[in-house]
Amino acid sequence: MTTQENNDDRIALLQGTLDLLILKTLIPGPRHGQGVARTIQRQSEDVFLVDHGSLYVALQRLEDKGWIGAKWGVSENNRKARFYSLTPKGRAQLVEKTGEWRRLTRAIGLILDSNDGTQGQEA
Amino acid sequence: MLKRKRSAEDFAEEIKAHLALEADDLQHEGLSKDEAQWKARQQFGNVRAAQERFYMRGRWVGLNKLGRDLRFGLRSLRQSPGFAVTAILTLALGVGANTAVFSVMNAVLLRSLPVSDPSRLVYLRTSNPPRGTGTIDTNKTFSYPVYDALRKHSGGVSPLIAFVPLSGGKVAVRYGSQPEEAEGDMVSGDFFSGLGVNLPLGRGFSEQDETNHAPIAVISYNYWTRRFARNPDILGQTLFVNGVPTTIVGITAEGFEGVEGGSSTDFWIPLQNRPELNAWGNPPDEGKTYINDPTWWCLQLIARLAPDVTRAQASAQLQPVFQRAAYVGLGGTPMEGEKPPVLSFVDAKSFPGSDQMYGNPLRILMAMVGLVLLIAMANVVMLLMARNATRQREFSLRLALGAGRGELFRQLLVESAILVTAGGALAWAFAEMAARLLGRWAQIETSLAPDKTVLLFTLGILVLAALVFGLAPLRVALSGGAELVLKTSAATSNTDAGKSRGGRLIVALQMALCVVLLVGAGLLIRTLQNLENSPLGIRVDGLVVFGVKPNIPSVPEGIAFYRNLIGKLRVLPGVDSATIMESRLGSGWSDNSDMMVDGRLPEVANGTSRTVRSNVAGPDFFRTLGVPVLAGRDFADSDTASSPHAGIINELFAQRFLPHRNPLGHTIGTDDGRYTMTIVGVVKNHKYRSISEEPIPMAWCMYAQIPVIGEMQVEMRVYGEPMAILPVARKVVQQLDPNLPLIQPMTQRAQYDTTISGQTLFARLAGFFGVLAVVLVATGLYGSLAYRVSVRTAEIGVRMAVGARREQVVWMILKDSLLLTVVGVALGIPLALLVGRALATSLYGVKPLDAMSYLIAVAGVAAVALAASALPAGRAASIDPMKALRTE
Repeated sequence: MTTQENNDDRIALLQGTLDLLILKTLIPGPRHGQGVARTIQRQSEDVFLVDHGSLYVALQRLEDKGWIGAKWGVSENNRKARFYSLTPKGRAQLVEKTGEWRRLTRAIGLILDSNDGTQGQEA
Repeated sequence: MLKRKRSAEDFAEEIKAHLALEADDLQHEGLSKDEAQWKARQQFGNVRAAQERFYMRGRWVGLNKLGRDLRFGLRSLRQSPGFAVTAILTLALGVGANTAVFSVMNAVLLRSLPVSDPSRLVYLRTSNPPRGTGTIDTNKTFSYPVYDALRKHSGGVSPLIAFVPLSGGKVAVRYGSQPEEAEGDMVSGDFFSGLGVNLPLGRGFSEQDETNHAPIAVISYNYWTRRFARNPDILGQTLFVNGVPTTIVGITAEGFEGVEGGSSTDFWIPLQNRPELNAWGNPPDEGKTYINDPTWWCLQLIARLAPDVTRAQASAQLQPVFQRAAYVGLGGTPMEGEKPPVLSFVDAKSFPGSDQMYGNPLRILMAMVGLVLLIAMANVVMLLMARNATRQREFSLRLALGAGRGELFRQLLVESAILVTAGGALAWAFAEMAARLLGRWAQIETSLAPDKTVLLFTLGILVLAALVFGLAPLRVALSGGAELVLKTSAATSNTDAGKSRGGRLIVALQMALCVVLLVGAGLLIRTLQNLENSPLGIRVDGLVVFGVKPNIPSVPEGIAFYRNLIGKLRVLPGVDSATIMESRLGSGWSDNSDMMVDGRLPEVANGTSRTVRSNVAGPDFFRTLGVPVLAGRDFADSDTASSPHAGIINELFAQRFLPHRNPLGHTIGTDDGRYTMTIVGVVKNHKYRSISEEPIPMAWCMYAQIPVIGEMQVEMRVYGEPMAILPVARKVVQQLDPNLPLIQPMTQRAQYDTTISGQTLFARLAGFFGVLAVVLVATGLYGSLAYRVSVRTAEIGVRMAVGARREQVVWMILKDSLLLTVVGVALGIPLALLVGRALATSLYGVKPLDAMSYLIAVAGVAAVALAASALPAGRAASIDPMKALRTE
């Protein structure tokens, strides 16, 4: 059985990323939580296994921050669901976070792609 | 954002919806209904954990936890009410005593004048007055011509303000029909505007008012409250001051009580030139009041430094003006070999005089209550440690069940915060009361109400206490660790805690502090005893004294008034004799000067002072006081303006200035040679100004024979209760003049006692704090020993089971506390020596190394230690070994 603390660690690691992905999936329009989870999983070609519990906590956090809004509604297959949508503030965040993410991945890529560092150390 | 936006139910609802949607999707992908539901749930993971995290999110959690900790803390304190009450009371006494003494110290020594920009205000001081002048204080007072000259010289300071009391004590005032007394000052026109004192009601004075000597008055907020019940209609009403009508035009802001520390002024009027309103209530000297008498230096001056001018620059600018003005009316230049006076400035930010008067005692008291606080805090820490040590199993259990150390710490902090809050609230109430009492005893009239500084001081102590009380037990609480819970026996799990070396050190230190406090208290109480028992040389019981200040148009009329008054008073039933004097005995006031003996200043041995104290007295003076006349006679009714001038001296005058001669018949007189008298009597030395003084040469002249006459003090010897004569005496005085109140009536004993009120207060407080320390140390010692015995119950049971005798057990416990006592005393005595040296100036008739005080202190501490150990030792000895072992 995993302890609560370990769980917390994983969220802390994923936090920024998960927020970014959630915001991104909401661009086309309002979605409910399960829809967000499915979309992320599908678009990442099943690389990400989204922890559903964490997802809902993250959704709540984003809502608390005012980046997304939420409203109870009815899904296509006639089930009651809570629908999330981007707020203007959330849209701005998405742009900023996306930029940050691009810079980060580029920097990491630069380091990983170069092949001098390790050899120098060995010699 | 202040309300929780979403309920936990709503969140649970959403999860339920998610599971349904997911199951729908999975079913769509070909799973059976049951499989789909199972998989949806499995994919979701821990639903409860998600719900918990939802609940824990955000700021509400902290508050929730705090509420829980508070409830828990209160509950656990309620389980041990004895502990809680002791801790709270101890803390309240310790903190309360500190707050009380500090608020007095703050009001008297630290608080600055309640005026605008007090740091630019300075008092003027002179190195010495010119020769041939009379002063109130050789360094602090100036003549009116000096004030006038300095004021006209613009530059350096602006404005220059003069103020002078209308009397050495209180002034006769009347509002409506009943005469009464109040404290009043005459001041410059720019007194209020220059100091920057607010007048929320009415107006202050203008320079015009000073020039015109306008008959107007401003009253203080305190006087307004006390006498007029804050009636705003008082503006425009008439207040008679020494019979002169003045119109009340303003009321000062709350908190302004004049510019002298320790006293409070009730009203102010502009500087006057009428003889009834002379400075200090003196009668005009040959028709001259302070305003046209350059030889009487009686005004105090305060100035505001001009912007961008330093103190040195300003005094340099004023120096030549001052030195010229000082000799106006005195021949213009200093006499041969005379040092001209030098002007200087001192800080007026806080009240300078009060430091001299109260500074040292207050600082020592502050140190004493600081020690009391240390002892009190140490006590509470020990109590907490003992209590939490017995809770070690509880803490271990909670650690084992997964509580974080942070949580334990937070809970201990909350518990200590509860104790500290309760103790602090109690301390504040206690301090407010104590400060008021202190002020009354010390006769400090300034408002002592605690202000923001005091509040901060107290809060500072409390926060410190809360932290110490929270941290101290933490070590004990955590030292057990989670595994301790596995030890099953209460006895074994507590053995380590009982031997805490820290606890023993604290007890020893407490004893040391207790020795210090007891030695200090002992020295001061012995000082007080010496003062109270020192013979006055006067039969003081049965004497009552009051002042009378009639309106005196001429000297013969003044003499007639007093002759009339004495005649009426001495025939009242119950009165043995009645007389008058100018300076009141035991009031601290005296008239000091050099005197001629047989036409010249007497030769004195090197280093001996030539100063003589003189007083003006009425008939039967020494018979009334009960001072024995050693040679010659007392003053009598037959000494009149037309008979030869009679003078009476004391023994010391005769010994010092007329040695080996019969003093009777010699001529003595003022140093300017204007008034002479023949010695007709020699009386025994007695205390004159105060109880603690050394004898000084004295001379008395007869009131009916001198060229000035003003306010007089009436002294009456009565049978029975002295104060009971006052209503009748008041009636007699008011038959002569309905405007006259009896000024400061009191028994002569009470008047003398005012001169040691400082020492009395000091000694009483020191004694009180000494006793408080002893009580605290006793409870602390008892508590820690009792606790140690209780945790050793099993061990003692074993010892007794294997043959230890009761005496051995008792000795084992007693030995422990005796050892602590020895260590404590050994530490305390060197500290006490230091304290004794600091106290040296406050002692009277006791040496700082007074063996008695030390013995009593050590014996006291030892007795307390024994008493506090006796009970636990007795309990240990009565342990039934079988029972002790069976409790496990």
